[in-house]
Amino acid sequence: MGMVDGWSGMHGISAVPAYVVMQPTTLCNLDCAYCYLPFRSDDHRMPVEVAAAVAASVHPWTRTGRFSVVWHGGEPLAAGREHLAALFAPFGAGVEHHVQTNATLIDDAWCAFFAEHRVRVSVSVDGPEARNGDRVTRGGRPAYDRIVRGIDALRRHGIPFSALCVVGDPRPGVAAELYEYFLDLGCEVLGINVEELEGVNTRANGHAAADVTAFWSELVSAWRADPRIHLREVEWTLRYAGAVLDGVADEVLPRQLDPIPTIAHDGSVVLLSPELAGFDDPRYGDFTSGNVLTTPLGEILAGAAGTPWIAEFLRGVEQCRATCPYFGFCGGAHAANRYFEQGRFDITETDHCRNSKIRLLEGVLDHARDHEPTAV
Amino acid sequence: MPEITNPRPSEAEQPNGVGADPVTARVHDTRAGLAALIDEAEAARRRRAEGTPEDGSAVCAWNHFENIPTFYNWNNRPR
Repeated sequence: MGMVDGWSGMHGISAVPAYVVMQPTTLCNLDCAYCYLPFRSDDHRMPVEVAAAVAASVHPWTRTGRFSVVWHGGEPLAAGREHLAALFAPFGAGVEHHVQTNATLIDDAWCAFFAEHRVRVSVSVDGPEARNGDRVTRGGRPAYDRIVRGIDALRRHGIPFSALCVVGDPRPGVAAELYEYFLDLGCEVLGINVEELEGVNTRANGHAAADVTAFWSELVSAWRADPRIHLREVEWTLRYAGAVLDGVADEVLPRQLDPIPTIAHDGSVVLLSPELAGFDDPRYGDFTSGNVLTTPLGEILAGAAGTPWIAEFLRGVEQCRATCPYFGFCGGAHAANRYFEQGRFDITETDHCRNSKIRLLEGVLDHARDHEPTAV
Repeated sequence: MPEITNPRPSEAEQPNGVGADPVTARVHDTRAGLAALIDEAEAARRRRAEGTPEDGSAVCAWNHFENIPTFYNWNNRPR
């Protein structure tokens, strides 16, 4: 099956997620300019009862393969080790715990905690110091030194880590500088997020197409010279390109959308796009699909399509499938980008599509075209 | 730079069964350069030992790519 019949992946929402995102606290000790999270100055902590309710639903899903619990925030470490351990406890040994952290609180004690609980760590850092101007403390002071101190602690303890980097100005010159930085930093995995207009971040993110494509192309060149890092965007793109060349492109996308349940501190559940948690809209309400304190998570997922905004989003995915030649690569515009850019879920191409999907693929292809092996 | 100028996939079909939409066509047109890049990526993956999922590394096995959780997942990943 190919595009003549339509791409066959991403039909509807899976009843079983691969992971859940948990918000142990709304609080973040930083105040990054581009952050999409509301309430990040408040310390609303997740009660253990919420974690226990999620764990009970998750348990059967852990028997069939890897299952992950991702502690997000706010800043998850701001919940403190004692509380985080209490939230971990109901999950048992069958799940992997992950944290996405700004690294500023990481010290020897946190490293011991990570080792004890086998936590996989991903840090948020935007490259060299001068590129971290948006990452500031609540007092408005640069956070970079604290970020580096935390990452140094990880390295000192031999704890492998991933990194996420937000790029506000994707253009040539930036990519090579960033990749070299992350090689030195020592991360095993790197994800590049072009800044997005979403949540409470309302900064516009239109960029010149040629600049963004050249950014991705340059990133491939930099990576190719020393591919020690698993670079998320390059790996995915090459996987897709290889499948196209092998005639199996339609097998790349998951068969169904992962619901990616985000469990907010109070037990409320937002599906598909954690960025929607905490927001209200006159048309869509609060975007939640239920609360784990009153309804088992599995039941919430089974009824997902009944949430009005999700029904509209699924129509939007079908629109992407029907109209966009990048669908087999992308799987459809993400819900939060549709909503925060255009106010609806049934529209198609977003700035995020252009910056992070379309121009990524085009940049990789540009690189490949410009570096064809010399004919002999 | 190519953008979506003709978004609806064409009705033409290539021998491999994938419709000749502009993106697929461009990937095929770049076959030589891509093949070399894909080979290098595979070699790099082996050097990174991504074939062993239980090694405690931050990287998960290539075969588990879909399951590199959260931020390394592709579709609708949280950010």
